[in-house]
This record gives sequence, C-alpha cells and structure tokens, in this order.
Amino acid sequence: MSRRGDLGVGAAFLALGLVLVVTGMGFPPGMAGLPGPGFFPVTIGAVVCLLSGALLWQARRTPAGGTAAAPLHDKGRLAVAVALLAGYLLLWGVVPFPLRTFVFLLAFLRLAQERWRSAAAVSAVLTAAVVAAFQFGLRVSLE
Amino acid sequence: MESFAAGLQAVLQWDVLLFLATGVLLGAVFGALPGLTATMGVAVLTPLTFWVSAEKGLAMLLGIYCGAIPAGGIPAILLNIPGTPASIAATWDGYPMAKAGRAGLALGINAATALMGQWISFAFLALAAFPIAAFGLRFGPAEYFGLALFGISLMAGVSSGNVLKGMLAGMFGLALSTVGLDPMTAWPRYTLGVSELLDGVSFIPFMIGLFGLGEVLGQMTEGGGPRAALPPALGRILPRWSEWKRMLRPGVLGSGVGTLVGAIPAAGGDIASVIAWEQARRLSRRGQEFTKGSVEGLAAATGACNAAIGGAMTTMLTLGIPGDAPSAVLIGALLIHGIQPGPLLFRDHAGLVYTIVVTMALAAVGIAVLGLVAARPLARALRIPRPWLWAGIVLMGIVGSYALNNSVADVWVMFAAGLLGLLCRRFAVPLGPLVLGLILGPIMEANLRRALILSRGDWGAVLDRPIVMFFLAATVASLLWPLIRKGRVAPGSAAGSK
Repeated sequence: MSRRGDLGVGAAFLALGLVLVVTGMGFPPGMAGLPGPGFFPVTIGAVVCLLSGALLWQARRTPAGGTAAAPLHDKGRLAVAVALLAGYLLLWGVVPFPLRTFVFLLAFLRLAQERWRSAAAVSAVLTAAVVAAFQFGLRVSLE
Repeated sequence: MESFAAGLQAVLQWDVLLFLATGVLLGAVFGALPGLTATMGVAVLTPLTFWVSAEKGLAMLLGIYCGAIPAGGIPAILLNIPGTPASIAATWDGYPMAKAGRAGLALGINAATALMGQWISFAFLALAAFPIAAFGLRFGPAEYFGLALFGISLMAGVSSGNVLKGMLAGMFGLALSTVGLDPMTAWPRYTLGVSELLDGVSFIPFMIGLFGLGEVLGQMTEGGGPRAALPPALGRILPRWSEWKRMLRPGVLGSGVGTLVGAIPAAGGDIASVIAWEQARRLSRRGQEFTKGSVEGLAAATGACNAAIGGAMTTMLTLGIPGDAPSAVLIGALLIHGIQPGPLLFRDHAGLVYTIVVTMALAAVGIAVLGLVAARPLARALRIPRPWLWAGIVLMGIVGSYALNNSVADVWVMFAAGLLGLLCRRFAVPLGPLVLGLILGPIMEANLRRALILSRGDWGAVLDRPIVMFFLAATVASLLWPLIRKGRVAPGSAAGSK
C-alpha cells in the first residue's frame, strides 16, 4: 500500500475516532457507577484515535512510494455506476419495477462494455427471472 | 442417538436434498468464478431462503458454503487465481501441476482432499461441539464479555497485511454495532433520525453490499479480463493408488490444522491453508518439490482450507462467535430462521445440530462427486462473461436486501456498504475484522453492562472470575503476538514471506 494511501486511511480513522469520542460524550451519563449509552462509543473512539495515530506514525516513517493501491482504470465508469445505482433507488416506487430494472441493467451492462444486443438480452432475462421468482413465486411486492 | 436420528431424518427428505443440491451447485459456481466468494454467495442468496423452512434454507446455504470452498481451487489450479481467499495456497502447487499437463489430476486431488478435510472437520464438530457447548452453559454475562473481547483481540493476529489496518477495521465494525437503540437504556445512538436504523444496521443487506456490490464495483473499475484462458486439456482426473498414498498424510495433517485454525474466531481457510502447506513442506521428505507441482503440497493446502469450515462452524454453533466470514453471514441467516447459535442451541435443539452436521457431510460428498465427475464443465464455467455475473449479483443484491423487510432503507444500507466495501478493497483494509467487530460488538457491550449491573458496578467482581481472567490473559497474549512474531523474524528474512 502506498504511503499516501495509508496516510489517508489513518486520517479518515482519526476523524472517525474523534467523532465517536465527541458525540459519545454527549450521550446521557451512566448512573450508580454503571456505564451509560456513551461508554462504548467513547471507548471505541479513543482506541480508534490511538490506532489511527499509530498508523499515521507508521506511514510517515515509510519511504514514499510503496505498493500502489489497486489501480482504478476508469474512475468515470465507477462514478457512472454509482450514479446509476443511486438513480435506480431514488426512482423506487416512481417507475414500475420491470421497466426501471431493465433500463438500469441495460445501462449497467453497456457501462461494462457489453454489446447492445447481448446487454438487452441479458437485462430482459434477468428482469423477467427476478419478477417471476419474487413477484409471482414468492409474492414479494417489488413496487 | 435419538437426536442424531431426528437430525438425519430431517435431512433425508427429497425437498431438503433438492435445496442442498441447488446450494452445492450455486456454491460451485460462486467458488469457481474468481472474484465471487463463498461469503458473497451466502450473503447474496440468503434472502432466497426467507420463504422456506429452516431445514431447507440451511441446506441451501450450507451447500453454498461447502460447495464454494472446494470449487475455489478450480481457478487456483487452472488460472493461478484463487477462486476464494481460502484457495490461495492451492495455487502454489496446483498451478505448476496444471502447467506441467496434470491439471485434471490436480482437480481430482482438490476434490478428494476437500471431502477428506470437510469430513474430518465435521467429525470434530459432531464430537467436540457438545462438550464445548456444555462448557459454554457455565458462561454468564462476564464470561461472554471476556470471550467477545478475546475474539476481537484476534483481529490483530489474523489480519493479513497491515495489522493496524485490521484492528482499525475491527474497531470500525464495533463502532457500527453501536448504531441503534442502546441495549440497556434504549437511548438512540447514531440513527441520524432514520427510524429504520433504530434496530441497528441491517446485517444481511450490509453483508450483501460489503461482499457483493463492493466486489462488483471494484472489479468493474479495475479492468479485469473478460474471459479466462484455460489449459487446452485437463488430462487424467482420478489419482492413481501411489498418488493416493502420497496425499493421505499431508491431507490428514492439513485437515487437522485446518480444523483447529478454523475454530479460532476470524481465522479462516486462507490462514489455515498457508499454515498447513508450510507444515507439510517442513515434514515432507520431498520438501524441495513444493511450489513445483507437489501432490503433497496441494493435498495439505486443499485439505486445510476445507477443514476450516468444520472448525469455524464449531465455534459459531457452540459459542455464537463466527470462525470466518461465511459463518459470520450464516449467523445472520440462522437468526432470520429463528435459530440462535450458542450453548442453548445444543441443549434445546440438539437434533438441529445433527441436521447441520449431516447436511454439511452430504454437501461435501456432493461437491466431491461434482468435482470429480464434472471437472470439465466446471472449468468451462470460468468462461462466463464477467459483466453478466456482475449484473446478476447487483440485481440479486438489490432485490434480496429489499425482500428482507420490504424496505427500501435496507437497499440503501446495501448501497452504502457496497461503497464502503469498495473503499476498503482499494485501501487494503481487510473486511473480515470489520464483520467480526459488527457481530461481537453487541455481545461485548450488552454482556459487560449486564455483568456490571449484576455486580452493582463493581469492575473487580466482573473481572475476577477464572474464565474471564483466562480470556483476559489470552487477549493480552494475542495482542502481543504480532510484536513477538515481528521480533522473532529477522529483518530481511524470507521466512513466512510466502
């Protein structure tokens, strides 16, 4: 893993630890010597701060470079895939399930560089299979 | 004996066997395709079992679990790519065998030692689980807190790669487990005003996202090749008598190591197979053949990774603590079917325990037969275009997460967990400790606070108990172990680098 990546991970966890400590201290205190709802979050947050501090220290001592993070060949493709999925969920209950699912899968498969014809065929088969299995077979309302 | 007969009877129904066969087949597909894992298979397909009885649902999920691990050896042998993390050590001797024109034999050894490993570990489960569970009945809240603390401390020892990141991932899992109503005072914590989060993070959708969607998004953006290039011919599959004799000893050794390592919380088949392979190499008179296509090396590695299943299930069923990632997901599935793993399961539902053991034993036979008879078609499954699989997994993940409670909020949990899984994958943060933390968090917190209530807030009374002190000592030892190991391995030494 690269030094920059480890520094980023350490910083993110440090922030998480601080959030846990601060928010946990805002929970009601325990009574009669018993811990309250904030005891665990604060304890976890404190340990996360310590460990992330150690990770940051370790990363700073590591020579620059190291093993690079798994390469992202296409960040744009990732962004579109995430946006597609978010859009699909936002349209839940607005657009009928079969249509929404078919269009989503078609776009998803095209994004994965599948040809139009096979993408349409696979999307149709998968949509039909899920509707048949869940809506008709298991009687789950997918709308 | 009565319980065993009842357990056996529950499995030997044609519809249960059909679910089992379906599970084994699906598991074989999930295991054989690189990138799809046993954990993903169990997580993504758990929702399909909501509408059937516990026996049928369990048969399918256990079939997936027992089928995926051996099938993970297929791409390990043919492509040098482990189908599941557990089959990492199978590449070291399996792939050289395939390159030398003995791919079929390597697949045959994989199938045979998988059966050996699974059966030995299931025998251990059947024999050792009841005494362990009986011992577990002595546990009160303080002991459960100690056990959970020990389980969490193991994150340091078993985290592959960066130990600190493994521990941070585990702590993150613990932090996630605090979302929802406080177990003692019902005070809402980190729910962000979302009523669906009052019950905590929905476990199954979270697992589907973490292991399913996260993996798919990662593969999509890392540019994996669309289709695999297989060896032109597999050759002979069944081992000869001389080869059976050569693989017996390392196979049994691997199975023993795998069972014990699998029983350690969070230490799964990947760690078991690496340890077993190394031990077999040390003990073998033909140690120099290892990494060059050794029958012994392959037998030890595949025996161990399969035996880890029984070990992991022993810890999970007896104490409610998962031995590896698939068994962690199985806990969620069991709870959905109204089955609470732990010592009481053995006291109140002993028949069900035998049902599980017999189901897994039959699944082991099924996948072994499939591996020997259908090695060629299974190898051809590697040619399925990845985008088709990705689309199927994403759709199954969405619908499965929704179907759990007919809740779109659960699908959003799956979506968020998918992004988290992608980030963890990209920054080499291990997912196993995160899942362990998520499962052990509520056990640890609720039991510590219960123990403190019982002792009227006296920490000394909670900790000053023999079993608790044992777990505390074991916790300290496991936390110090990585430092001791680091000190023992000389800088620049190649030992353990494999």
